[in-house]
Amino acid sequence: MTSSYRAIEIKNLTKLYANGRGINDLNLEISQGEVFGFLGPNGAGKTTAMKAMTGLIRPDRGEVKIFGHSIIDQYELAMSQVGCLIETAESYPFLSAWDNLKLHARYYPNVDAKRIEEVLGLTGLLKYKDEKPRRFSLGMKQRLGLAAAILSRPKVLILDEPLNGLDVEGMIEMRNLIKYLAENEHTTFFISSHLIHDVELTCTRVGVIYNGTLLSVDTMENILQNFATLENYFVSEVERNGRTSSSIPQ
Amino acid sequence: MAALQAAFLNEIEKLFKKRKVSVALIISFLVIIAGQLVILGVRSGFGLRGVSSQEFPILVLSIVANSILPLFTALVTFDCFSSEFNHNIIRITLTRPVSRLKIFAAKVAAIYSFIITNLLLLLLLSTLAGFLFNVNSLTLASWSKILLAYLASSFPLLILSLLLVLLANIIKNSITVFFVSVILFLVLKAAGVFFSQYSGLLLTTYLDWYKLWLANFLPWDKILRQFCLMIGYGIMLFTAGFYLFDKKDY
Repeated sequence: MTSSYRAIEIKNLTKLYANGRGINDLNLEISQGEVFGFLGPNGAGKTTAMKAMTGLIRPDRGEVKIFGHSIIDQYELAMSQVGCLIETAESYPFLSAWDNLKLHARYYPNVDAKRIEEVLGLTGLLKYKDEKPRRFSLGMKQRLGLAAAILSRPKVLILDEPLNGLDVEGMIEMRNLIKYLAENEHTTFFISSHLIHDVELTCTRVGVIYNGTLLSVDTMENILQNFATLENYFVSEVERNGRTSSSIPQ
Repeated sequence: MAALQAAFLNEIEKLFKKRKVSVALIISFLVIIAGQLVILGVRSGFGLRGVSSQEFPILVLSIVANSILPLFTALVTFDCFSSEFNHNIIRITLTRPVSRLKIFAAKVAAIYSFIITNLLLLLLLSTLAGFLFNVNSLTLASWSKILLAYLASSFPLLILSLLLVLLANIIKNSITVFFVSVILFLVLKAAGVFFSQYSGLLLTTYLDWYKLWLANFLPWDKILRQFCLMIGYGIMLFTAGFYLFDKKDY
């Protein structure tokens, strides 16, 4: 695999907090067009990894490259290809949905009013475009966050719990949107979700993180050949590691 | 440069679409009305002349330069930094293809734009009020001098805002940082009175810098000395503020 096809490269990424949590020596490569699912229990280090990947936190060690551009040394170049939604979908509550997206659009020369309309349509927010997010439900805020993430037609989308707060219809729409972008625009996805069934239906490759360490990475095809469901695989990986950890004398 | 321009336009749009800024501008307007009413009261009640149309804008500046202007500057500064930190909406900007230095510079530039706008509005309204209600003695030459004094007073306010930016990056809570700033301002003002021999080193002393620009023969040596000191403070405060802003995890 040549470097140009590597959408995301993570090398020795380490970020440890004072409470001992975080991520330790994370190594991962994700190819262009892949839909990568990042699974792990609460506090495993998923959000920390995603924050380091988007420059929100500085790692203690290691680096992240997006299409060969370092997130630390070439931030603007690296982030010009990235759309993201980290932890919660934030928006300016005093601006309308349209104005929120207009603010994002200023950073991208190829994003115009037509594109803003388009993403509002794709996320089902067109009829609410003049309303302020302070009056939005959690699901609507999430849709606005997703609209902001896909606005610039990014080649890489990093989404932390993208289906949070969405109703069933919204989840299906988002799943279809992810599949559409991956298949037709070769968008690379890095998705963390606790909705394991959705990850199974959407992702092409999965990584399991536990206690800040990446336990395993495998394709969905292989996983489903060896396990009945992704949930079985996930539980097996976490339990195997949990037993290993608990068997070590303290 | 395009990213810096986008960040600056976004900061301006955010700032001027918030209610706080409108309230600040309305209060500025009310201060002029109240000042003019006091002048009219003194004139009719005691038979005193009060002020001329030339003196009224200076009277207004002498009142607001040490009271509402630093207060509004603090409110706007904390809105740009602390408020965005507390509500995590700083992440919206940080995850766009724009470096932290450009975001920081854009925020400082937006705060300075507010200071200039507020000052020019005060000048315009006080000149108008001076024309309408007072003895007309204003000439273009004297008005130019007043304009210069108003513009000059924006510079120490910018330096003060950089101190506030530094505090906002040290203290997390926006309410705490506001009260700490108010106390610090009062302490610096008191120190200027009690230790007058060192008042030249205190930031708050420079809020009266505009007075030097009103002299018939400009004291260039004093103007330049104070300007150099303010530049020095400005560079140190900008660097320290940016260092903390850049190192912060979001």
